[in-house]
Amino acid sequence: MVVVSAPESLVTLGLGSCIGLVLFDQAAKVAGMAHIMLPDSRGAGQKALEKPGKFADTAVPALIAEVCRKGAVRSRLKAKIAGGSQMFALPGAQTDFLAVGSRNAKETEAMLQRHGIPLSASDTGGNKGRTVEFSTKTWMLTVKVLGKGTAEI
Amino acid sequence: MDLANFSNLQLDAMREVGNIGAGNAATALSIMLARPVDMDVPKAELVSIYELAEYYGDPLTMVSAVFVRSEGEFTCSLIFIQEEDESRKLVDLLIGQQMGGMDPASVPAEMRDSALTEVGNIILSSFLNAINVLIGGTHSISVPGVAHDMLGSILDVVASIFGQSGEHALIVDTSLKVENVEEGVSGKVVMLPDPGSLEILLGKLQVL
Repeated sequence: MVVVSAPESLVTLGLGSCIGLVLFDQAAKVAGMAHIMLPDSRGAGQKALEKPGKFADTAVPALIAEVCRKGAVRSRLKAKIAGGSQMFALPGAQTDFLAVGSRNAKETEAMLQRHGIPLSASDTGGNKGRTVEFSTKTWMLTVKVLGKGTAEI
Repeated sequence: MDLANFSNLQLDAMREVGNIGAGNAATALSIMLARPVDMDVPKAELVSIYELAEYYGDPLTMVSAVFVRSEGEFTCSLIFIQEEDESRKLVDLLIGQQMGGMDPASVPAEMRDSALTEVGNIILSSFLNAINVLIGGTHSISVPGVAHDMLGSILDVVASIFGQSGEHALIVDTSLKVENVEEGVSGKVVMLPDPGSLEILLGKLQVL
């Protein structure tokens, strides 16, 4: 997890099944990003506490705490997410882990809702990787997909 | 098993497994292309899942990757990964070799992709067969999947696989290089053992 103040930006290169979660408070000019790899920390034990950004269920509260510690106000927080694609499809195989992207997206959205953070933009799913950059000047998340160009959300 | 406690002896054993697998994969590729195929000394390394995206260089590099999953006594994922240019050269060679001098440029993209998937599948299956002969195990291999995307996004999938059980990925990889062609054509066979099935493999290799 990384938290910055304006005018710095936040970048994650080459998201596949993972989710880039951005929480931001425009008035306080603070934003943070987590790189979520897995939906759920149950079964991870102590490790989930050491690296909360890895799991959707622990990343959301941990990133909320982190941006608030840097001056954001919880009631003003908004979220944007991107990622969660399924890079490979193997028909007929027992490969739940290859569909982890959609579970990551679903769980991240559910956790944001549970914590009362509005999701102001999202670009998840599909089968292509994404590179994301969040600007604290425009408060836009730029999502680049190889061969499909760039979108601002 | 917890990869954090993996010993150097065990890494050596995994390197040897990589050597045996890659030798068979190189032979299969060599037969398909009717050209010599050279291989590097295999590597076996533990990599932090948070540093995986940069492990093979710039995460934005465009690559093609063929992925299979093998399940049995020893369960693992395997990826045949190439820079996009290299995979284009490989498909050109394969089509030239197997389709009686047909102009590779005239072959539609879907067929090229199908050829790439199949050559990847044969390489990875040969790799796995050698390992299963070594440990006397049986396995079933999935249908192959293929992706053309950023290196970082492909490795992101690997991070998720290993993230389930810890903070490190065990990567066993070997570079293959087709000789007797201009500039050569190279690719990397990457084996990613499921941590849960390593005890069986290491037990059979008597390094548990």
